Amino acid sequence: MTTEGMAADALLPGLRAPGNRVSRRAVSYWTARAAVSGASVLLAEVVAAATSGFSAAWRTAIAATAALMAAHAVIMPRWRFRVHRWEVTDEALYTRSGWFSVHWRIAPISRIQTIDSHRSFGERIFGLANVTATTASAAGPVRIHGLDRATADELLDRLAVATGRTPGDAT
Amino acid sequence: MPMPAGVPAPSSVPVPSSPADAADEIGSGNSDGAAPGLPVAGSATAAAATGTADWGADTGWLRLSPRSLVVRPVTDLVRLLPVVAGLLILHSRTGVGLIWGIVASVGAIVTGVVHWFTTRYRITDERVYLRRGLLSQKNLSVARDRIRTVDVTAHPLHRLLGVCRVSIGTGRNDFAAGESFHLDGLSRSDAESLRVLLLTGPQAAAQVAVGQAGLGDAPAAGGSFIQPGLTKPLALGLPAAAPQPGDELVRLRLGWLRYAPLTMTGLVVLGVMVGSAVQFSNATNVNLATTSPVRQIFADFEALPLARRILAGVAAALVGYVLVATAGYVGVFWKFRLVRQGADTLRVTRGLLSTRATTISLARLRGVEISEPLLLRAARGARCIAITTGLLVGRGAEREGSVLLPPAPRAVAQAVAAEVLGVSGETCSGWLERHGPAARRRRYLRALAGAALIIAVVAWLTTVGHGPAWIWLGTLALLPIAAALAADRYRSLGHRLINGRLVTRTGSLVRRRSIIATEAIIGWRIHQSWFQRRQGLVTLTATTAAGRQHYAVQDVPATQALAIAAAATGDLIRPFLAAELDLPAELTEQD
Repeated sequence: MTTEGMAADALLPGLRAPGNRVSRRAVSYWTARAAVSGASVLLAEVVAAATSGFSAAWRTAIAATAALMAAHAVIMPRWRFRVHRWEVTDEALYTRSGWFSVHWRIAPISRIQTIDSHRSFGERIFGLANVTATTASAAGPVRIHGLDRATADELLDRLAVATGRTPGDAT
Repeated sequence: MPMPAGVPAPSSVPVPSSPADAADEIGSGNSDGAAPGLPVAGSATAAAATGTADWGADTGWLRLSPRSLVVRPVTDLVRLLPVVAGLLILHSRTGVGLIWGIVASVGAIVTGVVHWFTTRYRITDERVYLRRGLLSQKNLSVARDRIRTVDVTAHPLHRLLGVCRVSIGTGRNDFAAGESFHLDGLSRSDAESLRVLLLTGPQAAAQVAVGQAGLGDAPAAGGSFIQPGLTKPLALGLPAAAPQPGDELVRLRLGWLRYAPLTMTGLVVLGVMVGSAVQFSNATNVNLATTSPVRQIFADFEALPLARRILAGVAAALVGYVLVATAGYVGVFWKFRLVRQGADTLRVTRGLLSTRATTISLARLRGVEISEPLLLRAARGARCIAITTGLLVGRGAEREGSVLLPPAPRAVAQAVAAEVLGVSGETCSGWLERHGPAARRRRYLRALAGAALIIAVVAWLTTVGHGPAWIWLGTLALLPIAAALAADRYRSLGHRLINGRLVTRTGSLVRRRSIIATEAIIGWRIHQSWFQRRQGLVTLTATTAAGRQHYAVQDVPATQALAIAAAATGDLIRPFLAAELDLPAELTEQD
């Protein structure tokens, strides 16, 4: 798709990275999600600490959690944005995802059975959508997170047309 | 009683049914009546020949055998027996127990009758339909060309009444409760006809016949266990389906009983026995521990000196375990036979009290898994499981019916796998490509780090709790155990592409060699953790619609992983490889 995609994958030199990045807004979405989950953990700790009168051990634990959660909310979304990529050709759907651990997925279009798009409440706030393509294997769904709505709709249409071309029961 | 054309079994009279009031839940229903109703019980050809084309979608519905009316109430009552017995004993004077007993019996009989009246099935040229339920009606249908397996089971009561349960396996792997496609209570002849009809139906001709390997491929050492030859013609109620000759591939040998205590099956049986003893004890308020024989044993036991007590306890546990495990093996695998019927199906029959006959369509067989739990491996034993769409592998694989061979000598397992897949023995027992020093380092690192973590936690706990030091010093013994495990796990790692099959092996406590046809691979996953990246390793996983759904080549050097994927499914992965990567043109060996 893009010439950038033809270069060797920096993470796994034998492969080339999939052509497209996800939406830039995904970084904000992931940051918000990390912040919310971090805040809820902190809140639980504060409530627990309050019942025991904020001992020194609790104060240390809360400070450590806050630092860890803040670091996670800052580092994870940016790191993730650099990893998450996707590409669709006439033959296959190819994705890369993760951050600390990285997953590459390749699913032939001819084996895709269902395609669906889902938008959680959080994703709707940021105008994002994710696309899931399932194959006959229970271990085989390919998910692309953090697409902007227009791209997701376009991808859905494209996959629907492509999967319609191949006959057979895709097992 | 006048019968529709060609229905031999009185147990399956087609009945007119109420109009279809709900759409199919599985698949797109084809109930427009274009396909003539095809009652299965022997009348398939007769109905087609006499041209009963005016049968609409609402005719041709069949019922279960009337004898199944007995099965459900009795099984329900047996399940309730501990409770009912408890109530009877508790309230024997007041008579309340009797009333409860009567209520339970009446309830069981009514549900049995309702079940019989509301369960109907119908077979057309394209689909099999099933309806059941009174208040919430379930309508299930499945396309006949999607049927992969037919599983016929019979527990002792079934056998007494001459009925059985037929489960139809499709590729669907996510059945919710109540959606599985089964008919509980068909007469034996109906079940047999149904099995033959469903697996040798219209799709049989289109199926690719799987090549039959010569028997000479089996290693000479165990050559005698495979006995080619014709078995007795099957008792078919279906004149159209000629009795199929079957090649018996393997049958149970009594000597294999020595492998029974070496798998976990014995523990499962033991668990079930303890469970029912506890249930009985709870329901009847009889404390088994206070009954006189048990008390006597405990009294004798306590009279012994400590060393003897330990010895006696261990010996009793061992003997008990071996007995239970052997009984379990006999119960599940008695009269085990693996037979090839015609060119396109495999048939597994087994069981002492409950019997089971599984038919697997060879066209749906994607591979075989040879698994060796540690103890079984030490005794040079192994077992075989079919990798096929429609039969799930995993916990309770024996229940699910994908067993191709019970625990048996390894050479037999390898020969059976080769025979079933139609490949050479090399695929099932030959050398495998090693994963190299980085993979070995990773195995040791992971095992030792895990052991070190446990030791550190225990050491910390004993210092904080002022416990004796020998507790955490004792955990140091974990280190050599972990190292041995790591060494064995590395020895197990391996892969190879041969004869169009991906062979991969992993595991130590249960070592599994999976052999999967490359055309069954419907996608790839490559996983690289941060630690793997530093070591240049990845885990390559082939996804498939059969068996465990995914088969991993664990901790393989990255370029080697890509070479495997490219050689197995070249067209799929090649467009995504970096231009500068040089791969051997063809890795797959043929022999």
